[in-house]
Amino acid sequence: MKLLVVEDESSLRQSIQEYFTQEDFHCEGVGNYSEAIRKVEDFEYDCIILDINLPDGNGFRLLQYLRECNKQDGVIIISARNSLDDKITGLDLGADDYITKPFHLSELNSRIKALIRRKYGQGTNILQSGNLQLDMLSRNVACGQHKIALTKNEFDLLAYLLNNKNRVVSRQAIAEHIYGDQSENMPSFDFVYSQIKNLKRKLKEKGCDDLIQTVYGLGYKLSL
Amino acid sequence: MSKPLLQKNTRILLTWLPMVLLACSLLFYMVLRMHAHHMQEKQLLLKQTNVWGAFIERSGNIEKHIKGEYDIAQGYADASIELGEPRDTLVFYEGSKQALPFEIQTTNLQWNGKPYHITTYTSSTEVSHLIVKVFLTEAVILVLLLIAIVVLNRKSSRLLWKPFFGAMKEIKEYDIIRNKTPDLPVQTETTEFDELNTVITDLIDNVNTAYYNQKQFVENASHEMQTPLAIIRSKLELLINQPNLTEKAAFLLGDITEANDRLSQMNRTLLLLAKIENSQFPDTEEINMSSILRQLLHNFQQHYENFPELTINIENDVSVKSDRSLAEILMSNLVNNSILHNKTEGKINIVLQPSFFLIENTGLPLDVNPEELFERFKKGSHQTKTTGLGLALVKQICLLYKYNVNYEYQNGWHRVKVIFK
Repeated sequence: MKLLVVEDESSLRQSIQEYFTQEDFHCEGVGNYSEAIRKVEDFEYDCIILDINLPDGNGFRLLQYLRECNKQDGVIIISARNSLDDKITGLDLGADDYITKPFHLSELNSRIKALIRRKYGQGTNILQSGNLQLDMLSRNVACGQHKIALTKNEFDLLAYLLNNKNRVVSRQAIAEHIYGDQSENMPSFDFVYSQIKNLKRKLKEKGCDDLIQTVYGLGYKLSL
Repeated sequence: MSKPLLQKNTRILLTWLPMVLLACSLLFYMVLRMHAHHMQEKQLLLKQTNVWGAFIERSGNIEKHIKGEYDIAQGYADASIELGEPRDTLVFYEGSKQALPFEIQTTNLQWNGKPYHITTYTSSTEVSHLIVKVFLTEAVILVLLLIAIVVLNRKSSRLLWKPFFGAMKEIKEYDIIRNKTPDLPVQTETTEFDELNTVITDLIDNVNTAYYNQKQFVENASHEMQTPLAIIRSKLELLINQPNLTEKAAFLLGDITEANDRLSQMNRTLLLLAKIENSQFPDTEEINMSSILRQLLHNFQQHYENFPELTINIENDVSVKSDRSLAEILMSNLVNNSILHNKTEGKINIVLQPSFFLIENTGLPLDVNPEELFERFKKGSHQTKTTGLGLALVKQICLLYKYNVNYEYQNGWHRVKVIFK
């Protein structure tokens, strides 16, 4: 999978590149509009992570360019401007998703995987890891032959961990992923803890033990 | 106690003007009497000259006594009589059986070596009548004058102060939040008011600029902070995935992550507040509050294992004109507060009606004034991990849509009521 990161803040760009290289993406990064144009002219990417504010141009223009040239690259906008207008403009111009700074890399990862699944993976709506199976469309979970009944939140949580498997995902990232904007003013992440506890119990009942580990005071990790 | 200017002015006029006028009339009366007296004296003297002249001319062959006119008698007058000075006396008239007041004057004179004294009379009645009439006329004029002054003063004051009251009305409607700047005329035809209006306009311009700059500053600062926060967050995520992380380091990273997330949260809320203040939510639509609230409560109940005992009374299809996300934030912040600031085994009551949204929860007594909790970064002393911006956001949203919001604490219950207009 090829990924292009268009972000003028080099430090953030490096983080994203590093993270996704670890995820086995082929990851390239550029810091301005003209370089980005050159890259998309010459290559095709599965996903472009696009910052709106670039020193020599606007991310929206790049989006327009992509659509005018009928390029099918998936685009996820990352923007410091958390405004609905921007979001609508971006999605209207053909972006696939929109995420506001500051974001969790695990969240970005989960979104990119969802995008790639939607865009390129017809028939692969099944997330599989070991003997754990998640059907992202029908939202069914199975451990081997056993079906597991999960609540909506538990399902989202498991999918999120699975998308970020073998990585430590912070409680905050989980809270924000499940709870969305409503995680504002959340002083405790008790509910993450309780959701994880329930999820672990249900998985164990069906024979998928020890998939999820608690990592000290940091978060959780689904490893295989 | 302060009173309207017009009333004050009238009051001053009505207090002092009658006194001045009274003093003036007294003075006038005295002067009038003095002049009348002087006139009588002259009359008496003139009569004496005439009578004496006639007496000498006719060699004493004239009437010696005419009642109310004169007396001529031989010999000098009594020593007790003050000569040449007018005196008061009464003359009795049989016809009308009345004693009338007269002014008389006696003078000693000589003719052919013989002494005479002559007393001339002049009636006081007419003069005193005249004095009274003149004085009454003057009094009436003064009263009319008083009324005229007061009325004219009121009328002219009202006219003179008109630009002032106009400006007042304009200033009253001034609203820094909605950026409604009063339109004060620079030409009022009164120098002082022109100056006042110019000064006020300048002042308001300065205040607006300062306010705008401050709002802009908050928004810009929040914007600029997003990127470093994003960098810190991404680096932390890379860091927590490093192999061979010691337990100690992991805990430190956990704390840093949490603090950084709180910072991000705060920053995001500040940005949202700034955006509401900068009127970046102009679009409103009819929002079905009932369904939003039900959905929200459902989510919260799923997320919190120990959700307090909930009693709801939600009317169906309550709709309010608002921005959808702001309506959601408004209610979710209040619901969230009622959970976070509850006690163990606590309760929550929620009522939603077309005219209001009421949420009450059990909890510890407030140790601050409830109104203060709507200010940014104000929170009760029990809470340390909240941003202190939740209620500020609620207030800002209410301000935007002109909802009334109040918070009270009574007998172990915290009650927040949002009244939609």
